Amino acid sequence: MKKKLMAVILSVAMTAALLTGCGGKEDTPASGGGTEGTAEGGVQEITWMFWDDLNATEDLISKGYKETIDRFNADYEGKYHVTPITTNLEEYYPKLNALVASNETPDVFIVSPGPNLTVYVDPGVAAPLDDYLAADGWKDSFTSDAVFSQMTYDGQIYAVPLNIAAACAFYNTEMFETAGVAVPTTWDEMLDACEKLQAAGYTPITISAGTAWCLSMVAGYLCEMEGVDLAALEDGSASWEDGKMESAGAKLKELSQYFQKTAAGDTNDVATANFYNEEAAILIQGSWAIAQINGSNPDFESRCGVFQFPGVERIIAKSDSLAMSSTTKYPEACAALMKYFTDDISQKYTAEIGGKIPVTSVEYDASVAPAQLEYVMNVFGSAKGTFGFYNESMPSTEAGAFFDDEMVSVFLGDTTPADAAANMEDFYESNCR
Amino acid sequence: MNDKAKSKAIKIIIYIFLILVAVIYIAPLLWVLMVSFKTNAEIFTSPFSLPESFYLENYSFAWTAGKLGAATLNSFIVCGITLILSMLIGSMAAFAISRLHFKLAKPCMTFFLLGMMIPVHCVMIPLFTRFAKLGLSNSLIGLIIPYLTFSLPTTIYIMTGFFESMPNELIESACIDGSSIYGIFFKIALPLSRTGLFVTGLMTFVANWNELLLAMVFISDETKKTLPVSLSKFVGPYNTNYSQMFAAIIIAIIPTIIVYCIFSNQIVDGLTAGAVKG
Amino acid sequence: MDKLLRDRKAITIFLAPALVLFVVVLFVPICQSVYYSFCDYKGLTAPEFIGLKNYKDLFKDKSMVFALKNSLFFLVFSCVAQLVMGLFLAALLTNIKKGRNLFKNIIYLPCVLSSTALGLLWMFIFSPKLGINQALEKFGVEGPLWLMDTSGFIILPMWVIAFVALWQYVGQSMMLYMAQISGISKSLYEASYIDGCNKPKSFIHITLPLIKPMVATAMSLNAIGSLKFFDLIYNMTEGGPNHRTEVLATHLYTQGFKYNKYGYASAIGVVLIILCLIVTGLINKFIKTENYEM
Repeated sequence: MKKKLMAVILSVAMTAALLTGCGGKEDTPASGGGTEGTAEGGVQEITWMFWDDLNATEDLISKGYKETIDRFNADYEGKYHVTPITTNLEEYYPKLNALVASNETPDVFIVSPGPNLTVYVDPGVAAPLDDYLAADGWKDSFTSDAVFSQMTYDGQIYAVPLNIAAACAFYNTEMFETAGVAVPTTWDEMLDACEKLQAAGYTPITISAGTAWCLSMVAGYLCEMEGVDLAALEDGSASWEDGKMESAGAKLKELSQYFQKTAAGDTNDVATANFYNEEAAILIQGSWAIAQINGSNPDFESRCGVFQFPGVERIIAKSDSLAMSSTTKYPEACAALMKYFTDDISQKYTAEIGGKIPVTSVEYDASVAPAQLEYVMNVFGSAKGTFGFYNESMPSTEAGAFFDDEMVSVFLGDTTPADAAANMEDFYESNCR
Repeated sequence: MNDKAKSKAIKIIIYIFLILVAVIYIAPLLWVLMVSFKTNAEIFTSPFSLPESFYLENYSFAWTAGKLGAATLNSFIVCGITLILSMLIGSMAAFAISRLHFKLAKPCMTFFLLGMMIPVHCVMIPLFTRFAKLGLSNSLIGLIIPYLTFSLPTTIYIMTGFFESMPNELIESACIDGSSIYGIFFKIALPLSRTGLFVTGLMTFVANWNELLLAMVFISDETKKTLPVSLSKFVGPYNTNYSQMFAAIIIAIIPTIIVYCIFSNQIVDGLTAGAVKG
Repeated sequence: MDKLLRDRKAITIFLAPALVLFVVVLFVPICQSVYYSFCDYKGLTAPEFIGLKNYKDLFKDKSMVFALKNSLFFLVFSCVAQLVMGLFLAALLTNIKKGRNLFKNIIYLPCVLSSTALGLLWMFIFSPKLGINQALEKFGVEGPLWLMDTSGFIILPMWVIAFVALWQYVGQSMMLYMAQISGISKSLYEASYIDGCNKPKSFIHITLPLIKPMVATAMSLNAIGSLKFFDLIYNMTEGGPNHRTEVLATHLYTQGFKYNKYGYASAIGVVLIILCLIVTGLINKFIKTENYEM
């Protein structure tokens, strides 16, 4: 009889758990994310979602974020409290979407400007931030209103930038000297410089095609050089097949003869390691690589220069930005948290230790900051404007990935530049317009 | 005489070939073990030499910061619970199908067997959206339920075979002794099919221990990740620390290898028996 | 006794948990999946019925063509290679005495290891900076780009991954055949030797026909396994370069969970189910499981 009872209870419990799903809910603690922070003792609990593990990371910028979070929790003890939800970069958006779908949108979440942000602005997941920015002169602390341009939809700002990274050409000054090469400023000079470096026995350029977006950075610059207009392509007033992308692809092919032999298989890390281990003269990378370069080979800092990708006037820039959930219970706490990320202490850290360009007009000690930051700042300052990473400036992340993949194909010789342009046109025609 | 020499030569060729095969199997594992003691810089400069010194930080980092400790525990919880439930529920269903008399026994069996042919990928999206709504998408229970379901077809199939081969007389005499049907199941049928339970348990455990896709999709909370997920994502946002990655690979496979070395014959034979029947 | 075994309540209790799980976790989601495959469904908003558009898109999707081609390649390769290698190893091992267990256990080992870990391991071995190519360089040979080469109908990375899959799972086929071979009565072989058969001949005339039922079992296992194939590819190439090593499972994952195209990914899932059903049906039809008296 006992056994019978057990069997009955067991099957009933299983069925009940399945049908109602409450078996699992109890197992999801508050730290699992969500807006239902318990207001125990008046503390406003919020969550902050980020794409790196704050405790395990070696990334200096992520470490800075952890300090900011700790500082916020200490300063506002008893009033606000923030709990980080972390994933890694690759899983970040799927996980965020899952939380949004289950009505557990994190109160504050990091997001890349561009199509990634649009996904959350369009269905009203992200809240407009103008009111908070207007208060207490917060908005005035930023270097210019231009930093918000990629986060503005219909005149309203939906995300706050935390730092800016620019895609530059890093170079080995010693190799340049030995080969008798000056810093190139035009496309022809670039090819010439590579030729000379190769003649001097160096590998001119290290790049990763194994990590598609790395190659895509160069492709983005080449498209810019040819005058590709993404906005016109999106609304259909221009065509990918107007020859611009084709000649950008041809230029990529031309430049690729100077890449390291293993470029097709090397990952981002390996390509960067080739540079700081002084096996190649030029690395085209985002300025976040500074920390990795100096961290892995400290001696190299003095021999590492930076120049703007030749032949273009604008520079590729990317910012980490924070958006706020429109369903948050405690918008004040969220705004207060976001302010902590752009206050002087955080921004100083961004420049001096993180090696990224600060978004506010904070004064920082240039002698403490990595040497390359100053060069990047100079390049950034003299550029005639910025544009986003190509894969993050297209109407959807899929379109961006499609562009990256097409460019890798061109590099591998799988696709001719003309075919790649035709494929892009097809993709835009059926998915983006 | 000639024949003997010939067969000896053939034997030697066979052994040389088998040793070569064994090298292909062992060498990669030994290589990872070796590299896992090196520093990152050493890996790139000399991937094949013996490590200059035993750099154990890789392991402590992978274990603590990489959360492999927690991940191992999670894997144990998920696989353990799935194992017990699938053995219980599976053999209950198998018992009903093989021993109890009802018209729908055959269709029931076919229905369960269909589950073997359906890859878990195909139900992942509806399950994921459903579980997300129920708050199960980020809990270990949300993993256990699909794991359990997908373990059932094999369990039921194998256990049905075992129950069917049980002599009728045993059940008859138990009936005469006045046992209830539940008593027969728990006191006679289950203990007599211990081998079957071992085989199905082993198959369930191995399959779920290594499952990546569902775990990757369903679990986002760092503290709830299972071993394969933590391992496959042992990568930072802009850089990978290779040496720690290698240490993580070793941590992930060493427990299995140790258990395998001790019980290899039982495991190999058990899993084969399962596959033969399955 | 008959009454006891016809007890409806007991039958219900024994079957209920398994049936409920099957219906809730398998049957209903499959129906939902089929429904989603006719919808524009992005996860953040409710599904919207769009008819056959997803299926029409499947035909236009280049990655889908790669995925289908690669999945079918895996299917054929793993069925053939596992059969040949598995049988070969099984035949060798049944013919030796010393060390049979050792070799058997070594070859079976990867079957129980995590394919995530093994995938990563092989990824490093085939990466240009770390593994094989560095070793080849010492002998002055420039190794190919194992995981990035894109020339040929079946590209090199697919062969590499197929090799790793064979390496990992051949132990299972080998064991299945060994189990079957060891069940064959010795007297059959002795009789054949008296009739003048040598070992290879008796293998062809006795062993092969008698293990035919096992071939069907092993093949079905391989076939379903290769269609589900995900872990190794995800960890070795993630479907790259430019989707050339995509298989159905990775394509489904990318479309569904990277780009949030749940509806489209469901259509891929439906294709996968249909393939699985067709393949198991075919195998069971063509390799009839006649059982010989052994």
